[in-house]
Amino acid sequence: MSSIIHVQDLVKTFKIYHDHKGYLGAIRNLFDRKYDLVHAVDQINFDIHPGELVGYIGPNGAGKSTTIKMLTGLLVPTSGEVRVNGYIPWKERKTYVKHIGAVFGQRTTLWWDLPLSDSLTLLQHIYEIPDPLYKKNLAMFREILELDAFMNTPVRSLSLGQRMRADLCAAMLHDPKLVFLDEPTIGLDVVAKERIREFIQFINRERGTTILLTTHDIADVAKLCERVMIIDHGKIVFDGKLDHLLRTYGGRRFLSVQFAEIYPEPVLENADIIKMEGNNVVYSFMRDTVSASHLIHKLSESYRIADLEVNDQPIEDTIREIYEKQLLYNHNHDKKNPAS
Amino acid sequence: MKRSLSLLAKLLKIQVRSQLQYPTSFILEVLSSLLIQGFFFVAFGLTLIRFDQIGGWNLGEVAFVWGITEFSFGIMDMFFSGFDYDSFGPMVRRGGFDQLLLRPVNITLQVLGSRFVLRRLGRIAEGLVILIFSIIQIHASLSIVKVLYIPVLVISQVLFFSSLFIIGATTTFWTMDRLEILNVFTYGGGEVMSYPMHIFPRSIRLIFTFIVPAIFLSYYPAVYILNKPNPLGSPAFFAFLAPFISAFMFLLALRFWRFGVKNYQSTGS
Repeated sequence: MSSIIHVQDLVKTFKIYHDHKGYLGAIRNLFDRKYDLVHAVDQINFDIHPGELVGYIGPNGAGKSTTIKMLTGLLVPTSGEVRVNGYIPWKERKTYVKHIGAVFGQRTTLWWDLPLSDSLTLLQHIYEIPDPLYKKNLAMFREILELDAFMNTPVRSLSLGQRMRADLCAAMLHDPKLVFLDEPTIGLDVVAKERIREFIQFINRERGTTILLTTHDIADVAKLCERVMIIDHGKIVFDGKLDHLLRTYGGRRFLSVQFAEIYPEPVLENADIIKMEGNNVVYSFMRDTVSASHLIHKLSESYRIADLEVNDQPIEDTIREIYEKQLLYNHNHDKKNPAS
Repeated sequence: MKRSLSLLAKLLKIQVRSQLQYPTSFILEVLSSLLIQGFFFVAFGLTLIRFDQIGGWNLGEVAFVWGITEFSFGIMDMFFSGFDYDSFGPMVRRGGFDQLLLRPVNITLQVLGSRFVLRRLGRIAEGLVILIFSIIQIHASLSIVKVLYIPVLVISQVLFFSSLFIIGATTTFWTMDRLEILNVFTYGGGEVMSYPMHIFPRSIRLIFTFIVPAIFLSYYPAVYILNKPNPLGSPAFFAFLAPFISAFMFLLALRFWRFGVKNYQSTGS
């Protein structure tokens, strides 16, 4: 199947200026401004196929927003190729944006001072949505996103969660084939997040809309996305199934033990003590190095145990560990540049 | 084009409706802005009565340039608020402009339709009252041609001020913030246009002739309409350059704006 998003050798470099200070500095800045080149996005490649729901994650400043902005046409790449839905986004802006939807979690597309219903009416005119389609979609979204309670409230008075639901509705009214969601759950509480996730899932499954989602909340990805792309330092360091990622790099487990008495150093082979409070001790170990039953067996040989529990590391922590230890970065780097 | 205009009409209509949602508060706002702006003129007038005239112009004559400038600025400020660089700069910085770019509509039209401030009616009314006050005083010097030239002047001034707004808004693409110095030309321009401009030092007159040609939009036409001697000794046809200069400025401003939009780049975050 042909891809709906095609990205090849995409690069975006920013010049970060170092200004001279003071009045004289301001004058010097006119003639000699020093700058650093920052490769916000550095030679990335990927394809997304119609109907996919892809999570695009990475630490702060990794290049997520820069990528999304190039895909939506707000930034012109330094080099490389982007084709979305057959268009070059920054060249054919007006026709291109008819076919996409975009929600930037930190911003709103709605009119701040107008009631939500007015904003949506305006969007109908802006996207030239035929009446029957508009009515059908609006009725559906009103129900799923529960918009009725604040349909006549000015957007500025909405809570963050309400505003996000309103923005999601606004982005979907014209039946876009492809939707970019940049941090759609940022700043929301657990319940609100869950509702947003359900809506995203609904849009993707029931309507076949292709979705590219960036987020800081790994729970969004775990719940929604089969495929994840991880970007770090402007490079895509992982692109594949979430399961695969977790199986390859995750697999850390925790064994929490309550001993019947206090032992000064209850050492255990193949496991590290990561927490010790009186007779409560937490060990950390890797699934593929040693089995839980083996560890428990070893423990009970040397110590008296009152209670114990085995947990898998939460996905969030696994991903964070991947970022922090730059496991993927080094791994991929070596593979791509054998010389270095 | 037709679709664009109908969309613009809808954008404005919805904003007007929402601004009229609380009629009492709206009327009070209009009235207070009328009074506040009007008091500047009253204070000036009371001083002028003491001295009888300024630069050879009496109160009725100064009221003409004052009123027409206020009236035109008010109209411009109502329709072109979207380009008001005081609010456009922050909008660009916070990514609001990006949101407009994500919609399949001409961007100039969207900015124009993004902010319509109906309560500017206060300032418009104030300008109109002063203008009418002036016309009552100066009607002896008016002819049919002169009366017909007044609306042409208003339109020219609206174009002139809107050009300054559009240029100001465009600069914020690069500065990300409003440039304080632009106020010298926009609000300063409006200020000097409210007086007989020969009273100002030569340097200021030169700025408002060659850098921002404000003098062609208020002083020279007024000299003609009010039958005043021209101490600057400039040719008589200067009185009729207003529509041409303002149209030229407006087109230039739009070009600059399009250049800015074309070269605009969002930030990386």
